[in-house]
Amino acid sequence: MRDGSCPAVSGHFFDILVGKELVMQNESVIEIRNLSKIYRDFWGRKKVQAVKSLSLDVHRGEVFGLLGPNGSGKTTTMKMLLGLLFPTSGEMRILGKPASDVSKNEKIGYLPEESYLYRFLNADETLDFYGRLFNMSAAERAKRADELIEMVGLSKARRRQLKEYSKGMTRRIGLAQALINDPELVLLDEPTSGLDPIGTREMKDLILKLKAQGKTVIMCSHQLGDVQDVCDRIAVLFQGELKVLGRVDELLEIRDEMQIRTSSLSDAAIADIQAVLKKHNVVNSSFQKPKADLEELFLRTVRESGERPGRRFSAEEIATGTGDNKGAGGSKV
Amino acid sequence: MDFNPVPFDFAGSFSQWLIIVGILIGGSLGLSLLLAVARNGASGVPMFTRGLTSYLSDLGSLSLRRILAITSLTFKEAVRRKALLIFVVFAVLLMFAGWFLSNSNSRAELQANVHITFVLRTIAWLILPAVIFLSCWGIPEDIRLRSMHTVVTKPARRMEIVLGRMLGFGTVTILVLCVMGVIGYVWIQRQIPENVRNNLTCRVPVFGHLLFIDTAGQPSYTGINVGDTWMYRSYVQGNSRARAVWMFSNVTPDALVGDVLRLESRFEAFRTVKGSEKSIREGIEGQFTLVKNARDEAFGGFALGASTREMADLLREGQFRNAADKLKEFAEKIRTKPKDIPDPDYAGLAGGAQQASGALKVLNSDTHNFDELSQLFKDLFDTTFQLSDRKAAAAAGNTIFEDIAAKCDAVADYLKTNADDLLDHMPRLEVPLPTFTVTEFHEGDDIREVNRKLEFVADYETLGRFLAKTISRLNDAGKVVEGDSISPAFLDTLAEEKEISPLNAELLLTVLTEQLQSGALRVADGKLAVADGRRWFPFFDDLVRRELLVSQDSEGWLLTLDLFEDLTTAGFLRIEVSCLNDQMYLGMARPDLFIRLPDRPFYVGYTKAILTTGLMLLLVVVIGVTSSCVVKGPVSVFLTLTMFIVGQFFHDFMLRIVSGNEQGLGLIESAALIWQHRNPSVGLDASEATQKFVQGIDSVSTGFLAGVSRIIPDFSVFGSAAAHVEKGFDVPLDASVWPSVAAFFAFMIPCVLLAGACLKFRELESK
Ligand SMILES: Nc1ncnc2c1ncn2[C@@H]1O[C@H](COP(=O)(O)OP(=O)(O)OP(=O)(O)O)[C@@H](O)[C@H]1O
Ligand SMILES: [Mg+2]
Repeated sequence: MRDGSCPAVSGHFFDILVGKELVMQNESVIEIRNLSKIYRDFWGRKKVQAVKSLSLDVHRGEVFGLLGPNGSGKTTTMKMLLGLLFPTSGEMRILGKPASDVSKNEKIGYLPEESYLYRFLNADETLDFYGRLFNMSAAERAKRADELIEMVGLSKARRRQLKEYSKGMTRRIGLAQALINDPELVLLDEPTSGLDPIGTREMKDLILKLKAQGKTVIMCSHQLGDVQDVCDRIAVLFQGELKVLGRVDELLEIRDEMQIRTSSLSDAAIADIQAVLKKHNVVNSSFQKPKADLEELFLRTVRESGERPGRRFSAEEIATGTGDNKGAGGSKV
Repeated sequence: MDFNPVPFDFAGSFSQWLIIVGILIGGSLGLSLLLAVARNGASGVPMFTRGLTSYLSDLGSLSLRRILAITSLTFKEAVRRKALLIFVVFAVLLMFAGWFLSNSNSRAELQANVHITFVLRTIAWLILPAVIFLSCWGIPEDIRLRSMHTVVTKPARRMEIVLGRMLGFGTVTILVLCVMGVIGYVWIQRQIPENVRNNLTCRVPVFGHLLFIDTAGQPSYTGINVGDTWMYRSYVQGNSRARAVWMFSNVTPDALVGDVLRLESRFEAFRTVKGSEKSIREGIEGQFTLVKNARDEAFGGFALGASTREMADLLREGQFRNAADKLKEFAEKIRTKPKDIPDPDYAGLAGGAQQASGALKVLNSDTHNFDELSQLFKDLFDTTFQLSDRKAAAAAGNTIFEDIAAKCDAVADYLKTNADDLLDHMPRLEVPLPTFTVTEFHEGDDIREVNRKLEFVADYETLGRFLAKTISRLNDAGKVVEGDSISPAFLDTLAEEKEISPLNAELLLTVLTEQLQSGALRVADGKLAVADGRRWFPFFDDLVRRELLVSQDSEGWLLTLDLFEDLTTAGFLRIEVSCLNDQMYLGMARPDLFIRLPDRPFYVGYTKAILTTGLMLLLVVVIGVTSSCVVKGPVSVFLTLTMFIVGQFFHDFMLRIVSGNEQGLGLIESAALIWQHRNPSVGLDASEATQKFVQGIDSVSTGFLAGVSRIIPDFSVFGSAAAHVEKGFDVPLDASVWPSVAAFFAFMIPCVLLAGACLKFRELESK
């Protein structure tokens, strides 16, 4: 998948992995400490605790994935970061500023869960409007709007009112509006939902491109494959609690298993290899097409969290599958 | 209607506003601090200060471009949501109104009024619901649809959102208003009948102050009540000394239309004898008299005290020496038997002195300065006024009376030594204008025109002054005497004087010659002089009163006066109205007579009315947006509508309740009384303690109302301009426009601050 990315991006791809990313690491763009959010009703009675004592850091230049089942508090966390919601307790700093400080928004782009835009505007007007909120000059706005509309592929529909847009088109213009200010930190709430396969691919490429430019990206998604493809680190939330946090490659490394990937093998070749394995006392080997590993991780985390609430899993446990659920790890090679 | 062109008191209103807004801001800060602490304990305090600093820094970093971005967004939204459909409704209304309104009234000016009223009201009441709806729904809808989320996650301050929204809805409102205003203007012009069209002007009235003089010649605040239950007008009895006195200030030649001063009046005729139909149709006769009576204005006040009344009469007659003697007598009495003089007489003395000191200052001119006398009267007033503080007066004992007497003497001495000067410079001139008639069932206003140059048959005093002035002028030029006698060319000289007819010139020559022969006049240094050293005016006055100078032609001594030079003092013009028919009465109230300045074109007043309507609608926008930052759309509509209705129709009522001017008791007390079927004057059937308790609670509720009456704007302010235009008047800036502008800003600023805060410190999650 990585090698097949769209031509616009493929050029820089390897520089990124080895270059900038490493340099930029460890400078925190987002710091969250003991963040909790309780939704209350009009009378102040507790309805639901959406986030429980969450602590996280997101580093400059990384793509960070926020995962979790529906209603686990991902969107709530993002909204608190943006100052749309006020935390019940806990501290946050974004780009070194408190979440309630509007001036931080100068360098932030946000794509909401659904594109909440003004439906009576057309694409041009939408981008112009948001550009003006950044105090951009008219010329700058026009230039940026052209670029972005081109980028999200809405050139043909730029004069149509948003209320006529399909879901995917709305997503696209939503994305364009999030990038209008060339942000340093981008928060994407389910960026690929509603997009067609090409759109999904383009979105992933875009995220990587942003990363290549040294931007920090935080995204929520249920498309685990996509997350696995683009994220450097992930956090898994379950009912508002942080269950898993770590680098994707570390989390997905399964230490007592080994996977060999080759081009398709003939039966004879397989028999030979099995003979070799036998000779080395390897038991329980299987020859299958590998599964999306993150999905596995995700399912396991959710299942175990349901059984043992209040516990956080270490990378070790996840990796070895010893989170005392025997059955979880062994189903594959 | 407002009659007093009192300049709008910006400074006073502003300071009062500062106090109220200060209290409100202080109160809300305190309340939010309390809330923060109650919710978060000790950490509430730093939270509060952080919130406050971030609010203030937001205020400091507002950006016009962002505000305008939201403004234009709002504007587009309104337009694309078809708010402009309102024009269609307007057009339809205008189309059909034309049928009903033409021929709606037989009287020309009422025809015009109906059309103007219709247009102005329709515009206001058509835009109002649209504006309330738009402004109350904008932000809540934005929050509900979460489109607000993409805006507040940009660097847009929430205050900017509030301002942008207000500006946006405001722009829509103003746009709609302007277009409707223009359409309405054209419609009025085209729709009203041809013959009424010249009625379409803005009259600019100058209202005066109204006083009455009763049948005994004494001033009073009201005239006679003829038994109307409607006590609006007071009546002047016919064929008597009774008069209505209007005093106008700031009358200058600017008030002239061409060469005339227009007096517009609307008096009521009341007949005690119902004559024939013919006499009813003819109506009753009235008369205007232009009066310049410096002596009356200055000294009339002394007539209020019995002890000084005689002196007042002498002063008014110009007999200053005799008056001085009277004053000395009075001073002596004060010195010797102060306690014999009743208190009201001291009050009369003080009041008279105060009036005199004020009025004399106004009389200053190039030829004479009254400051010294004015100061003497002021001293007299100050000293006498000490008596009003009984305790201090008692403590001071007789020294006060000594003082008063001394001041009286000072005044008397001045009067005595300056009697001639005063007489020369304090004339009395009464110029009656041609009579007019008022029928019982007349309609509309009457306009009487007063020429700037008035022909006037001189009365005694005026004739005396005229002759004194003329002769002394000619005498100074050496044209009167030749050798030891009157110059032979004197008659020719007089012929050049326009105001002296040939017959009267001859008379004058004869009389002067006689006086010279009799030794009353003499010749010194080639000039004529009064033998006993008197001035010319007393000399001629004497001759006139002895009827030696009765005019020889039938016209009388016909003089020409200038309205401004001869009849006004520092812009002050006094017009008296009398009724001439016996047993008839002429009724009037203050607005019934005004000087009608040059009219302004209709569009001037119309524009001002549209402007104040606009301010009203803008204030509704502001209130709507503000309330919509706190509550949801429907609630906000309800709130705004309530504010508007209470402010428009019940503000006055509220103030009357708060100030205790409205009859009735407190809330609970009244309810209990109704329950007990008792009369308010009887009071509650309950123990004293209970009554006190109930009244205590009621005073709290009244206090609450007092607070509310400060917070709810008085929307009726904005209607006053339209009311003027509907009645055919121009809109006075001071009485209508400035108060509207001030009211708008007074409410707009705290509303913006409040709305910004409410939006900032709320979560943008629709619940
Ligand atoms: N406005 C709200 N009022 C009350 N409860 C809310 C509100 N918004 C979210 N919640 C609750 O908070 C919890 C977390 O919701 P949140 O939207 O953060 O979940 P999520 O992780 O984004 O889910 P999804 O994957 O479905 O987007 C849920 O239980 C949800 O019901
Ligand atoms: Mg979500």
